[in-house]
Amino acid sequence: MIETHGLTKTYRDLVAVNDVSFTVNKGEIVGFLGPNGAGKTTTMKILTGFLPPSSGTAKIAGYDVFEEPMQVKRRIGYLPENPPVYPDLTVREYLQFVGRLKELSGKKLADNIAAVVEKVELGAVLDRLIRNISKGYQQRTGLAQALLGSPEVLILDEPTVGMDPGQIVKVRNIIKSLAGDHTIILSTHILQEVTATCERVIIINNGRVVADDSLEALVSRHGQTGAAATLEQVFLSLTEV
Amino acid sequence: MGSTLAIARKETRLYLTTWTSYVLFGFFILITAFFFQRLVIEFQLQALDYAQSQQGWAAEHMNLTDWVLGPVFSNMSVFFLIMLPMLTMRLLAEERRQKTLELLMTTPVRPVQIVLGKYLAALLIMGIMLGLTVIFPILLAVFGGSGTEGASPVDWHTVGSSYLGLFLMGAAIVAIGLLTSAATESQIVAVVTGFAVLLMFWVIGLAARGQEGFWGGFLEYLSLTTHLENFVRGIIKLSDVVYYLSLAGVGLFLTHGVVDAQRWR
Repeated sequence: MIETHGLTKTYRDLVAVNDVSFTVNKGEIVGFLGPNGAGKTTTMKILTGFLPPSSGTAKIAGYDVFEEPMQVKRRIGYLPENPPVYPDLTVREYLQFVGRLKELSGKKLADNIAAVVEKVELGAVLDRLIRNISKGYQQRTGLAQALLGSPEVLILDEPTVGMDPGQIVKVRNIIKSLAGDHTIILSTHILQEVTATCERVIIINNGRVVADDSLEALVSRHGQTGAAATLEQVFLSLTEV
Repeated sequence: MGSTLAIARKETRLYLTTWTSYVLFGFFILITAFFFQRLVIEFQLQALDYAQSQQGWAAEHMNLTDWVLGPVFSNMSVFFLIMLPMLTMRLLAEERRQKTLELLMTTPVRPVQIVLGKYLAALLIMGIMLGLTVIFPILLAVFGGSGTEGASPVDWHTVGSSYLGLFLMGAAIVAIGLLTSAATESQIVAVVTGFAVLLMFWVIGLAARGQEGFWGGFLEYLSLTTHLENFVRGIIKLSDVVYYLSLAGVGLFLTHGVVDAQRWR
């Protein structure tokens, strides 16, 4: 479903993403893990077609993100690092706006909004201005926006940032419940998030993929004799400079 | 088309629910009213002067359209130069700053739809701003007495062509404002650049005065305000209409280029 090949992005002399290749199969939830500045966000921006790669290719559902951006954009839901919300719109107006951009209208739009509002529990703030709701609700509004139109592929950049523990658990459950129908790639530097939601982990450091495996395999491979390592130990051993 | 309208609708909603537009509306009406009132008084004094100096025939040639409304419309074009960049500065700069451009660019919306949607909304608001000033010709029509042989003191044909001219000029200015807003994420930078560009287009007209030959004509052709002069006199010339439309077209084309360039960085 998601396929990258030799993806590289350089900003002048800084190499943000270096020769990243991976594949995500349909229905998988993949955790995209790495320290700050490892290139997670840049990779995700390339996958959405927002940034062009310096070299390499990325394909979503068989469409090259750079050659056929419209086909790709119809199939993805994207939650950037900062929820892309308009403070002066209400949550309802915002979702209607994004729904229309995603080519929904009429009853289909209304049904879609009702469904995502129920899913991420936004009912209580639906008619409030986004500037007046908490960061956690703003983040959930951003997630709701990504889910509109139930896209095949979800690209979530740190989806639980700014939420309280209760909300985090709920959002993780939502994400888990989406697996199967949706292919999800989720970036985070919160390790529990990966343990709680993902089956597979891609660890990236200094722009390079340093591990790409199922969670169990990683944990057992890096374990000491007899005992399995925690993901934390795996992460630290792989991202050491 | 749907996405274009969705964007236009959202922008209009933001325009009409934030105070900035209303401050601009109020200020525009107020400053126009000030000039209107001054011109009406001057008109009366002049007419009185003619009458007292046994030149009643001269007073008969004075009319409110050319003596009061014409100068008011010319002044309005200058207020447009100053105020419209403030209307457009937010449009794209704020999308960049708030990172919502990322949203627009990752949904199935083409850059041309983003640009046109924003432009339509700004045109509508500019149209409302302009439309509010219809109060001044109406005031003159109602209270201006009657002209020779009971005709209306206001020549509505000239008023109509003046509004057409002002709208076209506004459309060109809004396109330039949109362009300056596309290039930055700071509204301040957008508005200052907008002023600078428009000032240049305005000053060109002054520089052209007294210039002869090709360059004089060329500079005069480029000037934003000289093209309004015919409209205010009730003359609609194709070349003036083409000038404003092409300026708007170039502005929109360049704006599209700037937005589309996002894909190539």
